[in-house]
Amino acid sequence: MERNPFYFYTSSNLVELTGEKANTLEELTTLLKRCSGSAIFFHVFQSYRERHFTTEKYHSDFAQWISVSLHEESLAERLGALDVRDFTSIRTLREVMIQIIDDYLKASRQRGERSGETPFFFCQSMSVVMPTRYIAHTLEDFRNIISEIGIRSLHYHLIEARLRLGIQTNDFSYWLRTGLGKGKLAKKIETIDIYLHAMEKIRRMILQYVQEEMRSP
Amino acid sequence: MTIRLMDYEPIVGKQTIEELYLLAERLQGKRIKMVNSTSVGGGVAEILNRLIPLLNDIGIPTQWTVIKGGEDFFEVTKTIHNALHGVKVFFTPRMKDIFLEVSRENLRYVDLEQDIIIIHDPQPIVCIEGKDRSHAQWVWRCHIDVSHPNEEVWDFLKGYVEKYDVALFSSPRFSKKLAIPQFLFFPSIDPLSDKNRELAPEFIGQVLERYHIPQDKPLVTQISRFDRLKDPVGVIQAFRMARRYVDCRLVLAGGGASDDPEGEEVLDEVRAEAGGDPDIHIVVLPPTSSLEVNALQRASTLILQKSLREGFGLTVSEAMWKKKPVIGSAVGGIPAQIIPNLTGVLVHSIEGAAYQIRYLLSHPEIAGKLGDYGHEYVKEEFLVTRTLRRYLLLFHILQHPGERIIYFDQDAPPLPMDR
Repeated sequence: MERNPFYFYTSSNLVELTGEKANTLEELTTLLKRCSGSAIFFHVFQSYRERHFTTEKYHSDFAQWISVSLHEESLAERLGALDVRDFTSIRTLREVMIQIIDDYLKASRQRGERSGETPFFFCQSMSVVMPTRYIAHTLEDFRNIISEIGIRSLHYHLIEARLRLGIQTNDFSYWLRTGLGKGKLAKKIETIDIYLHAMEKIRRMILQYVQEEMRSP
Repeated sequence: MTIRLMDYEPIVGKQTIEELYLLAERLQGKRIKMVNSTSVGGGVAEILNRLIPLLNDIGIPTQWTVIKGGEDFFEVTKTIHNALHGVKVFFTPRMKDIFLEVSRENLRYVDLEQDIIIIHDPQPIVCIEGKDRSHAQWVWRCHIDVSHPNEEVWDFLKGYVEKYDVALFSSPRFSKKLAIPQFLFFPSIDPLSDKNRELAPEFIGQVLERYHIPQDKPLVTQISRFDRLKDPVGVIQAFRMARRYVDCRLVLAGGGASDDPEGEEVLDEVRAEAGGDPDIHIVVLPPTSSLEVNALQRASTLILQKSLREGFGLTVSEAMWKKKPVIGSAVGGIPAQIIPNLTGVLVHSIEGAAYQIRYLLSHPEIAGKLGDYGHEYVKEEFLVTRTLRRYLLLFHILQHPGERIIYFDQDAPPLPMDR
């Protein structure tokens, strides 16, 4: 039995309405500068979780709004192309997003004043994180639990962990590497593009990698 | 028979139920009170009738108090309700007096020995005057769109709203800037109710037969009361435009209008527009027709909700839950339910609705995907179990003021109640 088992947690959040809304890109930039880190976290990393059964063109609410409501496709593409795995802090993510919009507006200030079809409502979230009854001591336990744990747990350990730990990995890979010495498997899970796939697909990918690891000599 | 949380496990899955129990575990014994103005009829009573037994079932004792008032009181509250929807009203000093007097009289008899008191809508809002003689935390749950209210009435209510600890709104569009925290609480449907539960195909067939609706062509249906704001005449026009290209039938079904003179008028207009067309079926349903509504939705190929104005419009979620592709107007709470081209389609005109009817009837595979994703989205966001989760989260948040992430560690024992 391993000394450091993996404790599976789950996270639920309640959406707080800030009362702030943006109608134009200029207003969006102003609010992006002063909104809480929690608001950015919510709109980039959390709100899409409720649509986990599918993958939309953009996972970030900001890119989605710029595309659907403002029809500024090239800006939406630039924001949408940000690989959130590159960011381990909300501060740098905020700075980069503002810079991208500022650069886009430099070409034409008028773009910044045009109103979208619908406003962008700034929200932020408050989370409750709790341990579940699932604890993995071995790779076999890990596989069994991954096959049945809720998607909120998967999201928490794969996505929220990155910012919490401030490192470019996730809780599963961290434990597999440091707790079980399974560096190769840890790396494979790190390379999953978490925004390209629905959460159930990500579960299947992790299970497949674990099975392969268990079969390998 | 009392519904229990476990009854929902086959629908929402074991993990969701386990997570709800986990959230409830550390709230055991917390005493909750819900206060509203009616125990039957209307969406609020419907949700409380299901939510309160579920809260009690998972160990959170929850009481329900219904405030009392005479005809004059409820006339005033109706005026307030209309004013919050932006209708121009005369809100006289006498009306204010009646509202305050009856509210204060009610307050004398309300037991405030609770941990959290949740007041639903404006009717009982003045109960907050009891805050000083209670240790409870106070929540105002607003089910109405207050984004464009009559300012005089809103200013009067705002003084009360901002005495609460938090406010809950059904959509970001429905809220106002306030000095207290506000949370998003989507309304929800109950998958086990008569309106939404699975039905035997034989029963669905019987309902269609009863209303003389043949099953020979795709059915396009709008379920809503006969009200101009639901644009039933526009629906017929859209149907006619679409039928030039795709053969189909239209079902317009909704509540009766016997006690509503305007409803009768609208029904006459709808019948005149239909002009005896055998492909248009106008079905007037009595108020207790949940199973019939369910059957008509399940028998449909497409569902429309082409409202000109709307509250939250939960009929959209009802249809999505039944895996039906929905064409909805971009008004009220409909855009919160329809993610364009993913969980349904949003339209802005009669022509837009006509085009989408043609398109979706001609592309059943795309219509099927919308229906499937719509079902998943409702499962995630708009079921009563999700409302229960939101309340449990709210109770934790109220118990941990100032904490944005409430973290319970593995080894930490459940926290004692704060009060």
